[in-house]
Amino acid sequence: MAEFPFTLQSYPRAIMHFDGDAFFAAVEQSIHPGLKGQPVVTGKERGIIACASYEAKALGISRGIALHDAIRMCPGLKVLPSDYETYSLYSKRMFDIARRYTPMVEEYSIDEGFADLTGLRRIHHTSYEEIALRFQADIRAELDITVSIGLSLTKSLAKLGSKFRKPRGFTAIPGPDIPGFLGQTPLEKVWGFGPNTVALLTKHGLKTAGDFASRPEGWAERLMGKVGRELWGELRGDSLYPVETEEKSSYCSISKCKTFTSPSSDPEFIWAKLVRNVESAFLKVRRHRLRARQLAVMLRRQDYRQDGLEIRLNRPVSMTRDALPGVRELFESLIERGAAYRATMVVLGKLESDAERQYDLFEDPVRIEKRAALGEAVDALNERYGKHTLSLAPSLFLGRHRKTDRDDQPQRKSALLSGETRRQRLHIPRLFLNV
Amino acid sequence: MPRVMDIQGHVAKLRTFWRRERRMPGYGEMLGLFGYQSKNAVFGALRKLEELGFLERKRGRAVATGRLTGTLRLLGAVQAGFPSPAEEELADTLSLDEFLIRRPEATFMLTVQGDSMIAAGIVPGDLVLVEKGGTPRPNDIVVAQVDDEWTLKYYMKDAEGVRLDPANPKYKSIRPKRSLVIGGIVKAVIRKYD
Repeated sequence: MAEFPFTLQSYPRAIMHFDGDAFFAAVEQSIHPGLKGQPVVTGKERGIIACASYEAKALGISRGIALHDAIRMCPGLKVLPSDYETYSLYSKRMFDIARRYTPMVEEYSIDEGFADLTGLRRIHHTSYEEIALRFQADIRAELDITVSIGLSLTKSLAKLGSKFRKPRGFTAIPGPDIPGFLGQTPLEKVWGFGPNTVALLTKHGLKTAGDFASRPEGWAERLMGKVGRELWGELRGDSLYPVETEEKSSYCSISKCKTFTSPSSDPEFIWAKLVRNVESAFLKVRRHRLRARQLAVMLRRQDYRQDGLEIRLNRPVSMTRDALPGVRELFESLIERGAAYRATMVVLGKLESDAERQYDLFEDPVRIEKRAALGEAVDALNERYGKHTLSLAPSLFLGRHRKTDRDDQPQRKSALLSGETRRQRLHIPRLFLNV
Repeated sequence: MPRVMDIQGHVAKLRTFWRRERRMPGYGEMLGLFGYQSKNAVFGALRKLEELGFLERKRGRAVATGRLTGTLRLLGAVQAGFPSPAEEELADTLSLDEFLIRRPEATFMLTVQGDSMIAAGIVPGDLVLVEKGGTPRPNDIVVAQVDDEWTLKYYMKDAEGVRLDPANPKYKSIRPKRSLVIGGIVKAVIRKYD
């Protein structure tokens, strides 16, 4: 098929996507320089691999494999507990470094983001490619981790670019190169194409992202609606998804899920874990000044089967205590006595702004205001002394299932500095080196 | 859902900007700072901030009030409307963080275990702040990997090349034979007595 360029301009918009290479494992190797060049995996506390270093990947180990299988495959594997605090510190720094080059940075997830570089060539006296490469070099020099970068005209294309070559990759797709690049990109690589979409498109005889982008305008929309039309445009270099610099504050739903260190069949403990998740979820709800109208609870069994139920609340709620009776009901109908569970999860949905408060006819506004004041006091205390310092009584049962393996704690938490507590630590990553 | 103006977020961003630049951002800068697409939106946000007393309008320009800039200097309480004389003096003070850390993105902590730098005042148990990504100069104290061994030493250069000197007569100077990796440059030492 003849390839016609969709646009002749190189960068009418310049959007960069950056993606940490095996991010969690790379951070561990950065703070434990002794682990460089070795197969490292994180996720010890869960028994499943959360992230595998490139050395581990080379041995056939990947995310999601059970730990005992991985150790059997590779006896020398270095297995570490997840240290989300350090990962978050690194993540924050990665975005701060991106902001040296442009204020338009989107924190897409803990290890990947977008940056709009349009119009910045003059300030930095260089090309877009060179700006991206400098950013990549800064990350490597200052954080001692690596990112892969895609540079193109739209977010969708930039994201394809960063996945194209990994690790330490850099792939620029200027306007005239788009058709050639898409011609060798399978459909399932496109951001937004799930297995169902790919199956549908394959039925229509499409093989590559290029086949999709070169269909006439309107074809994608007829088949896939608005999203189809948008993706079609994005892949042709028409930037339709802006880089969102605002911190995420409009959530559709907020969920919290924690896996236990080892499965448990103690209902008090499982309930305590669930309450803790509910508290964390509502904390986030309040931080974004929202309320939830819908609530779902899920319990995951030892064999990964999952049972869940959801309810609609009769009034939108932002306080844990107001939601708890409903949560308890769901919990009672879900839990099977004697069965072992490995995780609890809560999802708060139908979120709305907490700006205007309206009362029902039969509600007692004074009581509600009082509870809100109590909630604020609890939040203020926890803000000051650390998350969950003051929490609901069921959390007392969390101690019942004390960790048996002390190694399940990241070093940051097990080797505290004088003045640090279990709840609060210095906000600087610690290197673990014997010097 | 109606879009809600994130006033607290705006105030935080203005504060950071103020602390760094010692001036208010222009409209164009606020566009990026607040993540808005139009200057009109910035104008609306400014009006809101003015209402709340974070800003004043002087000759058509937005000027920060003490409410916006004053978070770092809560020491001097204002008595009966007269500003405390200490207040003015404290306007340009640094936090301990800012004092110790020059490049926050590149700074890491490391607990010292050995005694090789004892004469330089770094003893086992001390916490050092290490900056990555810089090029060391002679007399800098560096965390370095010499032939696969990590160490804390003075970075020195002479006719023969790089030499790493201990600050303890018990140990000898070392010269990298195969490889030298600079893990970072020590910028501060912290020791707590408690």
